[in-house]
Amino acid sequence: MNRFWCFFFTGAAALAVLFCIVGSGPTYRWWFPGPSISPLGAQIDDLFYLILVITTVTFIGVNAILGYVLWKYGSGKPRRSDFSHGSHTLEVVSSIVTAGVLLFIALYQMDVWYRYRVKSTFDREAVAHPVAEVTARQFEWRIRYPGPGKTLEDTPQPTDLYTVNDLHVPSGKPVLIKLRSEDVLHSFFLPHLRIKQDAVPGLVIPVWFQADKTGIYDLVCAELCGWGHYKMRGQLTAEREDERQSYLKELSKTQFDDGVAEKEKSE
Amino acid sequence: MRVQFVLPYLMVGLAALLSGCGQPPPATFVLNKKTDELIPEARATVVAALNENFGNPNQLVAWQKFPINYGAAQPESASTNRHEAGWRLKEGRNLYMRHCMHCHGVSGDGNGPTAKFLNPRPRDYRQGVFKFKSTLAPLKPATADLTRVLKEGIPGTYMPSFVLLGDETLGLIIDYVRWLSIRGEVEIQLYNEFAAAGALEKDVKRAVAESEPKAKRSQVVADLMKTIDEELAETIESRAADIAEAWVTADLPESVITPTDKRVRPTPASIERGRKLYLSQIEGKKTQCADCHGPAGRGDGPNTEQFWPIPGTTPERKYEIVGLHDEWQLPQKPRDLTRGTYRGGRRPVDIYRRIYAGIRGTQMPGFGGTVLKTDEEIWDLVNYVLSIPFDGKESASPGDVQADSKEEVASH
Repeated sequence: MNRFWCFFFTGAAALAVLFCIVGSGPTYRWWFPGPSISPLGAQIDDLFYLILVITTVTFIGVNAILGYVLWKYGSGKPRRSDFSHGSHTLEVVSSIVTAGVLLFIALYQMDVWYRYRVKSTFDREAVAHPVAEVTARQFEWRIRYPGPGKTLEDTPQPTDLYTVNDLHVPSGKPVLIKLRSEDVLHSFFLPHLRIKQDAVPGLVIPVWFQADKTGIYDLVCAELCGWGHYKMRGQLTAEREDERQSYLKELSKTQFDDGVAEKEKSE
Repeated sequence: MRVQFVLPYLMVGLAALLSGCGQPPPATFVLNKKTDELIPEARATVVAALNENFGNPNQLVAWQKFPINYGAAQPESASTNRHEAGWRLKEGRNLYMRHCMHCHGVSGDGNGPTAKFLNPRPRDYRQGVFKFKSTLAPLKPATADLTRVLKEGIPGTYMPSFVLLGDETLGLIIDYVRWLSIRGEVEIQLYNEFAAAGALEKDVKRAVAESEPKAKRSQVVADLMKTIDEELAETIESRAADIAEAWVTADLPESVITPTDKRVRPTPASIERGRKLYLSQIEGKKTQCADCHGPAGRGDGPNTEQFWPIPGTTPERKYEIVGLHDEWQLPQKPRDLTRGTYRGGRRPVDIYRRIYAGIRGTQMPGFGGTVLKTDEEIWDLVNYVLSIPFDGKESASPGDVQADSKEEVASH
């Protein structure tokens, strides 16, 4: 066998690194569904790449050491073994370096976490006027908008507008939704915006996000919630405020339809 | 570890993979339980008729008699699965198997693998009875009604929304569901015909016992099957024609319940009139809503606290579960109107249609034209029902009723 395992392990590691570099390419499409369309998402991506760099350096370093050891002691020649209690200095240094790296990550990410999760940092306007209440249930997203000119209340109101699986939000500004669950744990996941938040029965969780580009984006459930988890898909429609208003107007017309106008049209 | 040690593991893994993950048994349409009550000879006739006219899940037969778009062959189409006639039915089946079969079952009998965990149970299409529709009470649902159910889902049940599948896909699924429903109904109608002709096991036994001079069972059955077989082709044709016509009728514009008058403004006065109707406090208008839905609309009226007889049983037997039951003989709770969850839709016209025509297959009767003679009365009741989640103070409506001028609402 001689040096087979040395080549095997270093080769596998080198292949993995090569595959990731070639596979990801310059646009990093290998990891993400395209560049993030939200400012917070871009920051989250930066964190991701920072951690990726740290783990890559560690990965290559560890594999280099492993390769070196396998090379040195894998010759198959019989040799006398040494006995060692280990090196105190080496242990202290490696522990401190690892702890330092982890501490750095913990502190460095705080700013983004703070912006994403601490309510006092949310955009005031968005908090004052949540765009919708999203209720997850097996296996769909039920959406309740406040009536035109109204503010979203915690309890249903006579003027509320209801829809399912299609969340319309204005683009280019922070918006806030209130997330609930009707049955089990779900997770509100907007991959293009890098937003992921568990929906917990009994809790109303505020989630804010900002879609800078208009368009239709995926909304999926990211918490295994039952046999139909895979079909729990919705979509996020980010559109200009005036388009959204006309959408809500149309929704209101449909929802309060008394069947009479319909008849006049068809006649 | 030596390489040769890896080999046995690989072999074992491969063997497990090959033996454990074989092809599942082919999907089959199951027979209605009722059909099993027939004598084996008549049952075989039903099975043969169904196989001939509808095929099996892997070999569908597109019987042209029905108002279903099976899909004409499109040799020019880029998609190879559209090249042969009947492609829509096949595509519909594939989609149905992926999205619906879990709950509604291969045969549309509401008995798929997940069905037993669900309450309410998934719909059994085979009776051809659908609850949430816009058509007059005895009619089938219009295609648009089924589309609506697929798009909106049924809140309060396990039926989710499939709106993102898009209109074309939904159309394929709906045609397949209608086809399954027709298939189920043909089976039930054949059962009814044969049962009426005396092909039930107990009838044959009685006929043998009562025959003078004593006839053998085989002779009685042979005679019976002869009469059945003589008229079989005609029976199938006429039953199928009736069912086809029912589905065509449902899609006619005049089958849809359309109010003549616009919704009455949900003013406090209108809500109050509706409340009185709900509580049967108006002379000559016994709506009896509260008997099932309860005086406060919580779905806890006195009818939910009784044991009801099972229809069609002699001697009369009662359900073992307290409360109302639907046509599928499953427990049926009157809707709790305080929740603001409306299974058939929350549009005023949806509630209007529920009150006008009732809900088919359930104990909810229709009031339109009988107890409630004018649109205004129905709208008052609609306004009250839509106000129950808000303690009867305000009814769901697009804007502030007090601030709206009368003209604005009228022109809306």
